[in-house]
Amino acid sequence: MSLLDIFMIAVRVAFSAFIPLCFIAVCVWMERRGAGFFQDRAGPNRAAIYGFRAAGLVQNAADGIKLFFKEDMISDHIKHKFFFVMAPFIVFFCAIISFAVVPFADTLVLGGRGYVMQGIPMDIGILWFLAVTGFSVYGIILAGWSSANKFGLLGSLRSAAQVISYEIPMGLALVSMLIVYGTVNLSEMAQYQGQLLFGFIPMWGAFLQPVSLMIFVIAAFAECNRTPFDLAEGESELVAGFHVEYSAMKFAVFFMGEYVAMFASSAIIITLFFGGYQIPFLNTQALITFAKPVAFFMMIGLPIGMYYFAGWIRRNNVSHYPRENDPRVTEANVYIKCFWGLVVIIELLLIGILICQSGGSAAHVFVALLQICTFLVKVTMMIFVYIWVRWTLPRFRYDQLQKLGWQMLLPLALLNIFITSAVVIALS
Amino acid sequence: MGAKVKTMERRGSTFIERIYLVEIFKGMARTLSHLLRNLKDNSKLYVRHYPEVQPEIPAGWRGRHRLTTHDDGTVKCVACFMCQTNCPADCISIEAGERHDDKAEKMPVSFNINLLECIYCGYCVEACPLDAIRMDTGIFSLTDNNRQAFIIGLDELLTTPGAYPEEDQKKGGA
Amino acid sequence: MFAEVLFIAFAALSILGAIGLILFRHPMKGAMSLIVTMISLAGLYALLSAELIFVLQLIVYAGAIMSLIIFIIMFLNIQDNDLPIEEGRYLYLAGGIAVIIPIACFMIKVVKSIPAHQATIVGNGFGGVKEVGLVLFQDWLLPFEIVSLLLLVALIGAVVLAGKRRLLK
Repeated sequence: MSLLDIFMIAVRVAFSAFIPLCFIAVCVWMERRGAGFFQDRAGPNRAAIYGFRAAGLVQNAADGIKLFFKEDMISDHIKHKFFFVMAPFIVFFCAIISFAVVPFADTLVLGGRGYVMQGIPMDIGILWFLAVTGFSVYGIILAGWSSANKFGLLGSLRSAAQVISYEIPMGLALVSMLIVYGTVNLSEMAQYQGQLLFGFIPMWGAFLQPVSLMIFVIAAFAECNRTPFDLAEGESELVAGFHVEYSAMKFAVFFMGEYVAMFASSAIIITLFFGGYQIPFLNTQALITFAKPVAFFMMIGLPIGMYYFAGWIRRNNVSHYPRENDPRVTEANVYIKCFWGLVVIIELLLIGILICQSGGSAAHVFVALLQICTFLVKVTMMIFVYIWVRWTLPRFRYDQLQKLGWQMLLPLALLNIFITSAVVIALS
Repeated sequence: MGAKVKTMERRGSTFIERIYLVEIFKGMARTLSHLLRNLKDNSKLYVRHYPEVQPEIPAGWRGRHRLTTHDDGTVKCVACFMCQTNCPADCISIEAGERHDDKAEKMPVSFNINLLECIYCGYCVEACPLDAIRMDTGIFSLTDNNRQAFIIGLDELLTTPGAYPEEDQKKGGA
Repeated sequence: MFAEVLFIAFAALSILGAIGLILFRHPMKGAMSLIVTMISLAGLYALLSAELIFVLQLIVYAGAIMSLIIFIIMFLNIQDNDLPIEEGRYLYLAGGIAVIIPIACFMIKVVKSIPAHQATIVGNGFGGVKEVGLVLFQDWLLPFEIVSLLLLVALIGAVVLAGKRRLLK
C-alpha cells in the first residue's frame, strides 16, 4: 500500500464519518430558521459572538454548550441503567454507519488505480442500509422500556410498531428499484443513473420508478420518525415519547442521531432516485473530457452568483428598525468580504485546473470534488424537503398511520413490483 | 328567532382529495410561498424586534400598580381595605395607621403587593372608592433574581408615575 | 491474521451472548444477549465471504425477528417480581454440564479426526446476491418453492387461528 492508498482510505472514512456530524449543525439550523420562515417568524437569530450572528448558526453552538454542561441525571426509579445509557448511542451509531455505504463520488482514478469513494466499499450496499436502520429501533425500544415511564413506553411502542410495519413497503419499493438496476450495489446504481433516457432525460430512478420513489420517501419519513409520522414523540399526547426521561448529553445524542438518520436516509434517497453524485447530462466520463470548459463556465458563473448573493446579504442582514450605526451592516460587510475571499480562492483553483493538462489526475480530482459538491447539494435539498414536509403536514393518527402502511403502500408496492418486472422482461 | 345556520361545504370526499398527494402538494406549495417571500426579504416577517423596539401599551392595559397622591403629594389611600378584601389572589396586605393631616382619619402605614401572586385582574382598581390605586404605569416586564424583590412596598408604589395623561384615564384607563 | 482475530472475537462474542441468554433472569437482558449472538454469527458469515447470508442474518434474524421478540417483551412489561423463583437452578446447570461434557468431548474428537484442510477464499463473487440467487432459482427451484409453500401454510394457519378467536367472541 502506497502513501496515496492510505491517504485515500483515510479521506473516504473521514468523509463518511464526519460529514454526517457536520450536517447535524446544518440540519438543525435549517430546521429552526426554516420553521421560522415557513411560519412568518424569524427563528433563532440572537445568539452572537462579538456581534456576529452567522445567520443564527451561533445558536447551535450555544445549544450544544448548554446541553453539554447540563446536569446529566438518571432518575432513581430506572432499574436497567445499562440499557438506559446504551439506548441513545445505539440510535446514533446505527445512523452513522448506515451512511457508510453511500458513494459520494464516482471511482477516482489516480495513477492508473481506482479509489472507491464510499465509507465501506460493500457489494451489498442498500441491504446494509436496510439492516442497520432496522437496528436503530432497538435504541428506541430500549430507551422507552428502560425509562420505566408510561409516556416513554407508549412512545417506543408506537415507534417500534411503525418502523417494523414501514420497513416492509420500504423493502418492497426497493425490490422494484433493484429489478430496474439489476444490482444491489449503490455505486453501480449511481453509475447507471449517469445515462440518458431517450437521449435527453437523465436516467434517474425518479423518472424510471415514480411510484417506488413515492413509497420509499413516505417509508423513509416513517423510519426517521419525522412528521407526519412522529407519533413516537407526539408532544401533545406523549410529552416527548421515548426520550422523556433523558437529559443533557444523552438527550443530545438522541437528537443528533435523529438528524444523522435524516441525513443518511436523504443520501440513500438521492443515490437511489436522484442520480446520487451525478450531475445531470454530464456523467463522469464527459466531465473528465470537458473539465476545462466546465471550469471556465464555473469561473464566469461564480462571481455573478456571488454578486447577487452579496446583494441579498446586504438587503437582509440589517436591523429592520431605526438604529444608529447599525452593527448588522458592518457584520454584513464582513460576511460579504469573507464570501468574496472564498470565491477568489475557488477561482484560483479553477485557474489551476485550466492550466493543468486535460484528462490528467488534476482533472480527475476536480471531477471528484465537483461530484462531492453535487452530492452534498442534492442531499441538502432532500433534507430541506424533510423540513418542508414537517412544517406543512399535521401528524397522523395512529390507526391512519398503520392503515396507510398496510392497506395503501404495501399493495401499491407489490403491484409496482409486478408491473416493473413485466416491463423489464418485456424489454429485455 | 332561529339561529343563523351557515352550511359549510364538506371537503375531502372527491377522488383527487382522497388520494391526498395532490392536496399535500398544494399545502406544500402554500408553505413554500411563505418561505420564499420571507427569504427574499426578511423585513416582511411578522415579528416585533422586542428588546430594541418596545411595544406600544394602550392606556387600558393593566400593568404594574401604583398609588396615586393628592396634589400636595400626600397619599390618597385611606386604608379602607376594600382592595385587600376584593383581591382574588390575596396579594395585597395593608397595615393601617392614624392620620393627622385632616385629609382623612386613616392612612396606610405599609402597603405591600406581592407581584408574583398578583393576577393583574384589576379588581383592586375597581374596588377603590378614592381612585387611590391604579394600574396605569405601563410596566409589563418584571424581572429580578430573587423573590423578595417582587414584594413592592408603599415607597415604590407612590414614586412610580403614571404613564398616561389624565384625559386617557378618563376614557377608560386601568 | 486480521481475519483470525476477527474470527476469535466473533466466536467469543457469540458464545458469550448464548451464555448470557441462558443465565440472565430478566427476559429483556436475555433477548439483548441473543441479539449479540445473532450479530456475531452474521460477522462469522461475513468472514466466510457469504455476503447475502450475512446481510440476511442482520435484516431477518437480528433485525426483524428479534425486534418483534423485544417488542413483545416490552408489551408484557415484566417486573422482577413477576419472574418465577428458580430454586436449584445451579444444580440443573451442573447436571446439564455433566451430561454435555462427554458429548462435547466426542464431538471434539470427531472434528479433530477430519483431515486438516487449508481454507482458501473462494472466488470473489461467492455468496453474493447474484450468485446465491442464480443457484437458488436454477438448481434448487423446487425445494425453494416447497419451503415457501410451507411458510405460506404457516402464515394462513396463523391468520385462521387468530380469526377463530374473534369469531368465538
